[in-house]
Amino acid sequence: MSDSEPRTDGGATTIGRLRRNLDRMTVEGAGLYVVLVFAAAFYLVPIESGLVTSFKTGTAIIQTAPFAPPGPSGLTFEKWQTAIDTLLRGMGNSLLYAVPATVISAFVGSITAYGLTIPTWKKSYKAVVLMLIIAGIFIPYQAVLVPLTQFWSQWAQLDQVLSFVWALGIDDDYVGIVELVITHVAYGIPICTLLFRTYYKTMSDEMIESARLDGATLRRVYRRIVLPLSGPMFAVVLIYQFTQIWNDLLFTLVIVSTESSPAAPVVLILAGLGSSLEGQDFALRMAGAFFAALPTLAVYIFFGEEFAEGVAA
Amino acid sequence: MATLELDSITKTFQDGDEEIVAVDDVSLSIDDGEFLVVVGPSGCGKSTTLRMVAGLETITSGTLSIDNRVVNHVKSQDRDIAMVFQSYALYPHMSVRQNMSFGLEESTDLPDDEINRMVSETGEMLGISDLLDRKPSDLSGGQQQRVALGRAIVRDPEVFLMDEPLSNLDAKLRAEMRTELQRLQNDLGVTTVYVTHDQTEAMTMGDRIAILDGGELQQIASPLKCYHEPANQFVASFLGEPSMNFFDVALDGDRLVGDVFEYPIDDEVRADLGEATDLVLGIRPEAIKLVESKSDAHEFEMTVDVVEPMGDENTVYLHFDPDADPESAETLVATIDGFTRVSEGDSVVARIPQDAIHIFDGLTGEALHNRSMEDAADQVDLA
Repeated sequence: MSDSEPRTDGGATTIGRLRRNLDRMTVEGAGLYVVLVFAAAFYLVPIESGLVTSFKTGTAIIQTAPFAPPGPSGLTFEKWQTAIDTLLRGMGNSLLYAVPATVISAFVGSITAYGLTIPTWKKSYKAVVLMLIIAGIFIPYQAVLVPLTQFWSQWAQLDQVLSFVWALGIDDDYVGIVELVITHVAYGIPICTLLFRTYYKTMSDEMIESARLDGATLRRVYRRIVLPLSGPMFAVVLIYQFTQIWNDLLFTLVIVSTESSPAAPVVLILAGLGSSLEGQDFALRMAGAFFAALPTLAVYIFFGEEFAEGVAA
Repeated sequence: MATLELDSITKTFQDGDEEIVAVDDVSLSIDDGEFLVVVGPSGCGKSTTLRMVAGLETITSGTLSIDNRVVNHVKSQDRDIAMVFQSYALYPHMSVRQNMSFGLEESTDLPDDEINRMVSETGEMLGISDLLDRKPSDLSGGQQQRVALGRAIVRDPEVFLMDEPLSNLDAKLRAEMRTELQRLQNDLGVTTVYVTHDQTEAMTMGDRIAILDGGELQQIASPLKCYHEPANQFVASFLGEPSMNFFDVALDGDRLVGDVFEYPIDDEVRADLGEATDLVLGIRPEAIKLVESKSDAHEFEMTVDVVEPMGDENTVYLHFDPDADPESAETLVATIDGFTRVSEGDSVVARIPQDAIHIFDGLTGEALHNRSMEDAADQVDLA
């Protein structure tokens, strides 16, 4: 839009302002808005369709368009009820490994990155370690599935080590949760390290030197200077890792494998939710999907401000 | 408080296959309580020298001792030194009080209330008591500078190291802080090494100044001695604003012959020159006098090219030949009284007094003849 006209704040009514804006609108300006509205709709319609579908009865799904809201007769909360009932135990199991795995991988990544950035260790040693770590980022999940199964079933038989836990009355399927924590931490360390390293590179050298001259040891510099200043990057890493780990199906499939297991994570139960021999229950699947996505949404909202700061850094 | 001794300190960096010498065989010894200013153009190795004293850079060869204890391999945190950085390097997430207590908490076993008392005391001394609970980001540049100083002072170290601490301040504040820093250092009596590229800071602040160029120590002496009796042409040109005038001359009997002028010298000066015949004649702008008419071989008829009024004085650029191309002709810069009326194009007579000239070896740059400090002082008395 043109900037040639003076901007005034007269004509206090919203209608008046809107009309003036419309008067000034050029063809290009209008075109831009049309494209923007179209793009927004393109991204939002699937989500909107999913949401309205989750509130529809079976007949309403057949009779109305996917994105149309259900009529008064076609409205039901029953599917959400079923979804919550079925998925709730999976939610608990998922949190049981997603939270520790996220926190541990972020923390280990932060310390590793600190070691690779701040201390004056030989550059040639640091470069080799860093190269190995970065290579770790590019190993695809599929490539490690078989070794991973073999590792947990033959090399590290955790269920025997943890036998005292099962003696307390906890189902021994929960060994899968422990294995998932360790697997996700191992898989998450490279990317976490890289993200933190980029962040620590931008930290003022003089500030760290100043802390060293003030008498602080390497450990104390991390604890009192670097860690407190890592907040924004922790937000980025926590959100990223939590979403990754929460949504991952592949590792849960090979490690826990059955949805009937008491230790089944939410993604595993969700995969089978609403599909049966009679056909797909779309409403139930949608309700389940939205319910299962709530924790990731909550994490975004919770760390949103720091996330923005961390991404900008 | 301590003495500091640098003995043949050398620092080389490896850049690919090339070896770069940043500091070349520098020996300095700094007395207990002395304020030494290390000055030189950027890249001369002054900051590297300071960082080696701090333990932030390794020493390639030579020995560094604090109070006669060799500290080459002692870690920074065990050298009992405090450093003030150009960027202040405050901890952004801590309040001023926490910034200042950090060093005491990390390096001593003092109880919290004792630390608090010391921080408050230092805060009062620096006039930042009311800022103690603020974060560095809420402070102005000058205030941050004070906090950085306070953080160093509160630790009561053996040696203060300062790396261009005033260069991020505006001119007025810098002048104020210069005076205050000197007063503080005098009161505290802590041995201080102060690195700067600013020759005004060097001249005004130091007990002695060490001038570095290309990693080599050029001269270490009191500011006035460096100014009036420079060891070589580099020191002469580095100190003083506007800079000393230099003319390439050749010795011919008892005359110095330049491209556009001849300058007679007496036997006393002649005796200092020895065998050298390729010489550089140096004269400080403020030593040049404008006189009524030419009556002496040390006086020259010249043309005014540019006048820069500074208020109390004028800087005038003079040419020997009125028809010469102003871009390439040899220029004589003179500082004269602010009330003297001269304007561009005027013909004037400039006197280059023989007792104020410096003569350098044209090949090595070494000073062969300097004006003596006594002579310089006498002149001030007469005026």
